[in-house]
Amino acid sequence: MLRRDEFPLDPEIVSGLESIDATLTGEAVDPRHAELAELALLLAADRPVIEEGFARLLDQQVRERAFSSPSRARAAGARRKHPAVRRGRTRWWVWAPASAVAASLVAAVVIVAGESRGGSSNGGSAALAAPLMKAPASARRRETLGQGAATTPSTTTQMLAPIAPQHHSGAQSATSSAGASSPVPSPPSTGGAGVPAPLLQPPTGGRKVIQGAQLALTTAPQRVDQVSQEVYNVIGQQNGIVKASSVTANGGHGGYAQFQLSVPSSNLARTMAALSTLPFAHVSSRTDNTQDVTNDYRVNQQRLNDARALHTSLLKQLANATTQAQIESLKARIHDDEGAIAADESALRSLQRRVGYSQINLQINSGSIPVPLHHGGGFTLGKAAHDAGTVLTVAAGVALIVLAALVPVGLILALLWWVTRTARRRSRQQALDLA
Amino acid sequence: VIESLPARESPTTGAWERFEALYRSSRNDLFAYVMTLLRDRAAAEDVTAVAFERAYRRRRTFDRRRGEERAWLFGIARNAALDELRHRRRQAQLVVDPEAPATDPVTDEEAEVALRRTAVRSAVAQLPGSEREIIALKFHAGLSNAEIAKVLGVSESNAGTMLYRTMEKLRRACDATA
Repeated sequence: MLRRDEFPLDPEIVSGLESIDATLTGEAVDPRHAELAELALLLAADRPVIEEGFARLLDQQVRERAFSSPSRARAAGARRKHPAVRRGRTRWWVWAPASAVAASLVAAVVIVAGESRGGSSNGGSAALAAPLMKAPASARRRETLGQGAATTPSTTTQMLAPIAPQHHSGAQSATSSAGASSPVPSPPSTGGAGVPAPLLQPPTGGRKVIQGAQLALTTAPQRVDQVSQEVYNVIGQQNGIVKASSVTANGGHGGYAQFQLSVPSSNLARTMAALSTLPFAHVSSRTDNTQDVTNDYRVNQQRLNDARALHTSLLKQLANATTQAQIESLKARIHDDEGAIAADESALRSLQRRVGYSQINLQINSGSIPVPLHHGGGFTLGKAAHDAGTVLTVAAGVALIVLAALVPVGLILALLWWVTRTARRRSRQQALDLA
Repeated sequence: VIESLPARESPTTGAWERFEALYRSSRNDLFAYVMTLLRDRAAAEDVTAVAFERAYRRRRTFDRRRGEERAWLFGIARNAALDELRHRRRQAQLVVDPEAPATDPVTDEEAEVALRRTAVRSAVAQLPGSEREIIALKFHAGLSNAEIAKVLGVSESNAGTMLYRTMEKLRRACDATA
């Protein structure tokens, strides 16, 4: 490839250069360039000759491969140029990229390990929480009229995933006042996203129990919409109703959602299990409530039966009434009794609805989600691949950040190198011109 | 003058042998070039030693595709010599006239040659450093025009033109002296 400063030579110059080369090799020269040839011979003959002492010294240095300046007087300069000093230089341009890659990998492993520890501790508290959760004890049978609400036992079991679970005081009092009736199985606990919670068991033995739950989920800011849609899907699958909902998304920077859900009590356990294991969501807290309203129900039922019996009796008395005063009095009592029956029926229907449908208050908050350490099983290739992918992703991210920081530094260094090289070249040329 | 240098047993014997051959073929030429450039024997000896030391240290980085070993070695020597000139310029201006061999002319013809040699030497001493360098590379180091071009970092035609013009300048100077 031709250089930029390559150009065809003038024939006269070519001829002169050929004459010079011919003179130096002892060949015949064109007589036109006799002066040039003589000058070339004189220049070649005036070549400086190396001194024998220095030649021997240099030979010895080469033989021993130990170079040093021959001039003791210039020892300072020689030390500066001594190879022993230069050989100590490390090849940073070889080690720097390797060190950067190694640092990225170490940072990735540290980050992933840190996240894994967070998931592990979370799971650990969930595991601890499970045995501590107590089922609502069945209530003593108290069917005395007028004591329903006051004596109805209620239990609230709350579990906060990140912290130790605690019982509400009501639950404790209910437990302490519980009788020897058949206990209700434990409500579920959850260990976080992807950890299936034990199923809530609906009460058995024909008892009337109102169930409810509060669930708080945490998801990534950009996943609030997606998790909300999953909630709708779950409620639809469980034949439930979304009584109220509020989803607020802030373009990936935050957001939250609130739901008031109503599901058939027979599906509450499956619903809570499904909501607790939604993808991309993590259970931050969960509270399960139960309230045994068997007494209330029976009291209302008895009151209704009594009202109906009274109504039948009054109708019979009205049929047998003879005086207008008796008739008027019975009609008034029947009217009152019908009002009481309607009220009792309404209260009973309301109670049946509350027993038949459980209320769930669900809240979705945006935040960071801890990475679960285990998914309820041992080591699998899938988990290993997932972990490897996570490590590689984090490593790539760290490497990208490092690269973003190194590129400007590299450009600046390259510019400095170019400026230094150019300055040195100019300085050398100036020194040559002045020599 | 050059002694045979026994090669040591080493994993890099090939590289060492190449370096040794380069040293044997270039030692005197390199010194002559540096001496003409610096015009100071002590400094020229230092720079020659430094040039071989650097060449020995960098012998594995030599890339034959970028030129011949001789041009590469003279490039190293050139940088070392120019650094020496820079260093000297910072400290003090040291001007040492070219050494004239002490020979007494016997015949008229020898006297005439000595006279012309003195005129040429004087003309060379008056040349700027860059022109004196090209004379040193061509006639004292024995480099080809292509090698000179590699050492100076210019094209071969450029190097040839520079050499020819310098020779013409010298010829005119010598004629003027005569």
